[in-house]
Amino acid sequence: MNLFLLPHKNLAEFIKRLSIKMRVFYPFSENGKNHIVEYKSGQQFSPDFTRVRTAENIKHFFFPSRDIVARFPTALNQRAKFQILIGVKNCDLRGIEVYDRVFLNWVPADNIYKERREKSIIISADCPEPQDTCFCNFVGLNPFASGISDVNLSVIKSGYLFEVFTENGQKLIRENQDLFNNADNEGINEREIIRKKALEKLENINKRRLTEKISELVEKADKNAVHNARDECVECFSCLYCCPTCYCFLLNDYKKSDNVERIRVWDACYYSAYARVGGGANPRSRIDERFWNRFQCKFNYFYQYEKFFACSGCGRCFVGCSAKIDIREVLGKL
Amino acid sequence: MNPYEPVLTKIKKIIPETSTITTFILEGMPIEFQAGQFAELSVLGVGEAPFTPSSSPYARDLEFTIMKVGRMTQALFELKEDDTIGIRGPLGKPYPLDNFKKKDVFIVGGGVGFAPLRSLLLTLVENITDYKKIFIRYGARTPKDIIYKYLLPEWVKIKNVDILLTVDVGDEEWKGRVGVVTTILDQIPVDVKTTPAIVCGPPLMMKFTTQRLVEAGFKDSNIYLSMEKNMSCGIGKCNHCRVGKFYVCKDGPVLTWKDVKDIENPFV
Repeated sequence: MNLFLLPHKNLAEFIKRLSIKMRVFYPFSENGKNHIVEYKSGQQFSPDFTRVRTAENIKHFFFPSRDIVARFPTALNQRAKFQILIGVKNCDLRGIEVYDRVFLNWVPADNIYKERREKSIIISADCPEPQDTCFCNFVGLNPFASGISDVNLSVIKSGYLFEVFTENGQKLIRENQDLFNNADNEGINEREIIRKKALEKLENINKRRLTEKISELVEKADKNAVHNARDECVECFSCLYCCPTCYCFLLNDYKKSDNVERIRVWDACYYSAYARVGGGANPRSRIDERFWNRFQCKFNYFYQYEKFFACSGCGRCFVGCSAKIDIREVLGKL
Repeated sequence: MNPYEPVLTKIKKIIPETSTITTFILEGMPIEFQAGQFAELSVLGVGEAPFTPSSSPYARDLEFTIMKVGRMTQALFELKEDDTIGIRGPLGKPYPLDNFKKKDVFIVGGGVGFAPLRSLLLTLVENITDYKKIFIRYGARTPKDIIYKYLLPEWVKIKNVDILLTVDVGDEEWKGRVGVVTTILDQIPVDVKTTPAIVCGPPLMMKFTTQRLVEAGFKDSNIYLSMEKNMSCGIGKCNHCRVGKFYVCKDGPVLTWKDVKDIENPFV
């Protein structure tokens, strides 16, 4: 394994060096929640790598809520900035995994997403203290990364255990090798114990894992309109906007002096006009239809293409839901 | 290459077809396409909407026959010849012409749905000897709603092309058939077991035509349906046009009845 130890005392120097070449973002704990903040040299730096995922999800860094995607007749010449995201949890990496499939692998690639992704380094962090709203294990994930990010860090007694996954990650360690030591067995064993405990805690919270069979069950539920969403959903769409795997968007054109700017904005499939066509026909005019379409999208259609669920188990949808509709309960009843 | 950026071109000619349908001929061939593929047209500063060309891919100019139904088409109909327009494409998949070769081809259109079928017809005619016979069945609401009236006399003369029209409601001058399009599908002079049927029209027409074709014995995988969906990005990312697991913009816009028959009311 490609493992290195960054002693506690070297973290600040490591981050400071990174910030010279690129913008650095890290999780900062405030009022019981983690938020993403930007590192500023000279300001207090006290990251929290152990708390669960941040309140905000990292899709903003690659697929912002409002984005100029084209300009004409004068073509757009925007260049993405180099950035490094530290402390990203495995649930949010599932979001990146979904976006990589949609915006990079599915032809044609999205050039804007591609550039942002290429200019970003992700350092993920283990999630040793899952909370009741977490269900990454339910959708087939672990509370720690084993890829997608460039490097993963685990907080142990003697410092931060870094595991390298990519060439970019290797370069990061190589350029700062004076700050790192080789990892020893004691540190590696400590990490395994912490991970095991996190997994046990999650398994107590969510006793089952979804299987591929859920795709079929969701399809049947859609047809039979199991679960009357009209009785619960207040159509606030919070679940969709805070979801790290949702990728629906709309393109809107606006005149700006002599040019037209094409703006991509997030959309939400719960809007009644979401699928309506110019002539007025609407394939999903009822909230029940739209409710199940969301489940079909995440647990059936996407799975059919990519063989994993477009759900991260981060729990933001449940936390943000005005009616407290829990995906686990809805799926659990099928 | 930026997949969201259109090519700008000008409107060369505008031909009114009916009170609500107009053909826009664009300057030159700003995109290379094959029959069945579509493009996103944009009125500058207003927005985009998807349309399938009505001209032949072999023609010198690119044409779209469009019905005024919504905000974007309203703005489009206010444009004049020589005005600038944006176009992004080609998008989607073309008709699988290889599957049609050495067979009869049975085309059923309704209203403005005849526009993409015209592109298909002209493509087939270009290599007419590759196909046995081309049947066209077209229905419009009234004689005044028939599009391409000025072209029909030429098409009737083409050897191996059999055209039959009907209108829902006739007038004093109309001498042809009266009734919805399914009424001229009472006799289907082809081998239904092997013939491809290509359908494009308004949702209800699509629904009942498909029913009729299935009853007549056409194979589900041989019934090709133009799906009208909200295709915003056109490149299979924004999710709006999805029908079941299919992205109409990427997997279509033409899907077969086999693809969509298990979906509840796929034509809405």
